[in-house]
Amino acid sequence: MTEYTISIVIENKPAARDPEGMTIQKNLINRGGYSMITGVRSGKYFRMKVDASSPDEAKEIVFKMTNDLRIFNPIAHVCTINMEET
Amino acid sequence: MPMVSGVKVDLKPDELKYIKKTLGRTPNMVEIGMIDIMWSEHCSYKSSTPVLKMLPTKASYVVAGPGEDAGVIDIGDGMVVTFRIESHNHPSAIVPYDGAATGIGGIVRDILCKGARPVALLDPLRFGSLTSGHSRWLFEYVIKGIADYGNCIGVPTVGGEVEFDDSFETNCLVNVCCLGIGRKEDFVPSKATNVGDVLILMGGSTGRDGLGGVTFASRVLTDKSEEDRPAVQIADPFTKKLIIEATLEAIQTGYVHGLKDLGGGGLTCAASELAGGGGTGVDIDLNKIFLREPGMIPYEIMLSESQERMAFIVDPQGVEAVLNIFKKWEVACAVIGEVTDTEIMRLMKDGEVVGELPAKILDDAPVIPRQTRKPAYIDKLKHIESPELPRNLTETIYQLLGSPNIADMGWVYHQYDHEVGVRTVVKPGQSDAAVLRVLNTDRGIAVTTDGNSRHTYLDPYHGGAGCVAEACRNIVAVGAKPLAMVDALNFGSPEDPEIFWTFSETVRGIADICKVLELPCVGGKVSFYNEDEARKKAVKPSPVLMVVGSLDSLENITTMDFKQGGDLIILLGDTFNELGGSEYYHFIHHLEGGIVPQTDSQREKQVLECIMDAINQKLVTACHDCSKGGLAIAIAKMCMKGNLGAQIDLTPIESPELRMDELLFSESHSRFILSIKKDHLNAIKELADQHSVPVYLLGKVTQEPTFALSYSSGKIKCELDKMKKIWLETIPKIMKG
Amino acid sequence: MHMDADLIWHAYFRDSEYNAAILPGGFSYGDHLRAGIIAAFSPAMDIVKEMAKEGKPVLGICNGFQILVESGLLPGALLQNDCLTFVCKWVHLRTETSNSAFTNEIEKGAILKMPIAHGEGRYFNEENSLKELNENDQIVFRYCDENGEITSEANPNGAFENIAGICNIERNVLGLMPHPERASELILSPYRSSDGLKIFQSLKQFLEGR
Repeated sequence: MTEYTISIVIENKPAARDPEGMTIQKNLINRGGYSMITGVRSGKYFRMKVDASSPDEAKEIVFKMTNDLRIFNPIAHVCTINMEET
Repeated sequence: MPMVSGVKVDLKPDELKYIKKTLGRTPNMVEIGMIDIMWSEHCSYKSSTPVLKMLPTKASYVVAGPGEDAGVIDIGDGMVVTFRIESHNHPSAIVPYDGAATGIGGIVRDILCKGARPVALLDPLRFGSLTSGHSRWLFEYVIKGIADYGNCIGVPTVGGEVEFDDSFETNCLVNVCCLGIGRKEDFVPSKATNVGDVLILMGGSTGRDGLGGVTFASRVLTDKSEEDRPAVQIADPFTKKLIIEATLEAIQTGYVHGLKDLGGGGLTCAASELAGGGGTGVDIDLNKIFLREPGMIPYEIMLSESQERMAFIVDPQGVEAVLNIFKKWEVACAVIGEVTDTEIMRLMKDGEVVGELPAKILDDAPVIPRQTRKPAYIDKLKHIESPELPRNLTETIYQLLGSPNIADMGWVYHQYDHEVGVRTVVKPGQSDAAVLRVLNTDRGIAVTTDGNSRHTYLDPYHGGAGCVAEACRNIVAVGAKPLAMVDALNFGSPEDPEIFWTFSETVRGIADICKVLELPCVGGKVSFYNEDEARKKAVKPSPVLMVVGSLDSLENITTMDFKQGGDLIILLGDTFNELGGSEYYHFIHHLEGGIVPQTDSQREKQVLECIMDAINQKLVTACHDCSKGGLAIAIAKMCMKGNLGAQIDLTPIESPELRMDELLFSESHSRFILSIKKDHLNAIKELADQHSVPVYLLGKVTQEPTFALSYSSGKIKCELDKMKKIWLETIPKIMKG
Repeated sequence: MHMDADLIWHAYFRDSEYNAAILPGGFSYGDHLRAGIIAAFSPAMDIVKEMAKEGKPVLGICNGFQILVESGLLPGALLQNDCLTFVCKWVHLRTETSNSAFTNEIEKGAILKMPIAHGEGRYFNEENSLKELNENDQIVFRYCDENGEITSEANPNGAFENIAGICNIERNVLGLMPHPERASELILSPYRSSDGLKIFQSLKQFLEGR
């Protein structure tokens, strides 16, 4: 058993609009002189420590958990799972 | 700062000498740490105690006064109202969101520990001018912090106020107020009086948070303050809600003999106040305290300011029952000590004594006599040249409505859940004070906060007294009778004789008028060192008052909106040339100086009683007191709130001594605008005569959407829609950027 | 109104001997992760789901609505308000259907005045689901102006189609963001009305009919 570090990022689906991302881009970033930033999506980030016997198993566990426990709402969100370097 | 027993402390040489003498030895690390925090300005009030003695504190209905965690007043029918004001200025200036949120967390605990359910919050705030990005940032996140915390714990924020002035640019002021309603029999003191009672710690776990937090509050902000960030707490309102419910349920068992929350100064302050106040001692077993981080030494454990912790003094017979209640609400708890007869605070770790101090020493901070000196600017600024009279007074009124200190604050209070609890019968913006009903009765509690830093800067005595006058006017305007007050006094460094002079004069002003109005001060807070060391700039002297009143019947509630066309508009009180510190001078002419509105306690008392009688006799349809912006803005607001116009004839109050702008915008005290039904005109006139209050018929409410004033040499005509647009959109426009 | 009600602590809710359930507003679990998600997994919700299956009326107010959505008893999602702040103010609602356990005493088209107080009240659903909701007459309340017009100014949080409240296909489960319990007494309403009471009166009517 090894301890893996997995991060999940939950964002609104495009259809669900992301007013926080839009506001930050328009009112802070672009107005602050960074016009080359052409898109901002906001989201929630969680970093998890997972005990598993392989990287793939660790990712599978997290995938199953995020669906079972509705860590993200499939109607409104997309969820990305990444292995982090330890 | 000297080093004692391996730790840096903020104590002066003669304080250290006194400590060594009293103990008969050099204190060890944990002991000197405890004294350092208890004797900090924030905890001990060593500069302000002699001055605060001027304030009247007694009345037949005062159950608990200054010195206790919160003021408690008896409102009859077996009910008491508990309230308190606190400041969280320094943390909020660095980390506005969590600083403000934890301020709410702290004040709610103070009410809770008297055995009352917290039922309302108010937030009187001060920021730099909104033209500054930094101030806009502080403003936005302080409001969010208060909203997120208050909304989450389900306590409505029902009132408050915001003042904008350059002097608050680096040192914003975040004062928070809380009010609770409870039964007299549930009142719990903050004392441990029974030897053998058990000390239970409950709530959040103890970590390394805030080490140095209280001493940080008594130090001045510098560039290094950004590094001080570890001294600021992270808010956890969900845990607080569980604590509120668990505490109230535990009190119902009758086994809770004493209760204290752990705020500034952590367990040190709480345990020493419980024992010191009860004339007992306390043994604490540090091993029993549930810690968040491993390897904490006694110094860290005793000085930790981790949030959401409460100390219960419980009858040994009731310990199991109380612990079971805590388990039900899933709040952590542990028996950590017991009350003794030694009058000593004794700390044990691993079976050994690691610290021992007389419980009273911590309460025994020496009082530091401070120098006072009247600042030269006071007399200099009194007499300044009057500015040119604006050519278009209609435009002036429109402009003033767009001044952030006068503009509508809906942007703020719509972020606060002011309806939760179903007690809020007069909501923010409806009247001069909020009103909460006392459930299952027909009674109401009115509450407001007020302050005026510009007036107080130019004339500390009348500025301070003026805050009391305005707050009482706001209470009677809604139909209630003022009962008691608490005050937050926010100033710069007390080591500066000029600042200490303004502090003393402000308190003297407050004390004098409170005595005449028979308004006891049942608690308060002094926050010193609100200044920017780099620019050597202190905040303007900022007394903030919270006044609580009661209504015998909710039928008497009076709001400020004009009710119908045809109602007559009455002015009670006289207007004087007192534009010093006015919004008009500041926003229109960029002037600082002049004569500030003078207070006349007798005159104020007369008009307050007149309004109370008029409302009780059901003679008033709308009521609003005159304050910022003078009578012009007062009437304008009543029009906008009621969506009605007004036709005003100023000739009855014109005088050769007063220019038209002085008449319209002077912020003189003791004045109210009323609307009444036509048939009540004689009754009002008689009532005013009985109370020796000047009364003037100014005009009437109209259906036409204009605010029209005529006087001997001209006319003013403001369109209702244009007024509303400016007044309602000013703050949202600025904050949207 | 005279109906017996008990306030039940979630861990103690054992069986469904009750005739109806109301999930009130608040901040269950501090709204951590997402409003209503943690509470949706509470064992108490298993019993509420059973009650719903049995056709008993279940009302979710504000956080209660969020919990019903997260536990699958109602379709869709409730996202952060468009304006990104918490909003507490009185709104107007147009009643879109009288066909539910909680609106049978309210005329279709009737305008009700109630306060909202939420930070995550923006109703969202996918296009075909929204279509279904409309076709099945499941949209119960929409935000409107004082004349009953559905406008964007009247929409306080950006909810799709100004949706303020919906019911399930069986019409016994209703979720709404506004607070009827805060609008049931004249003294609490700036309009001196008690529109919220009508929802509870409908509930009473429904129960008496069962």
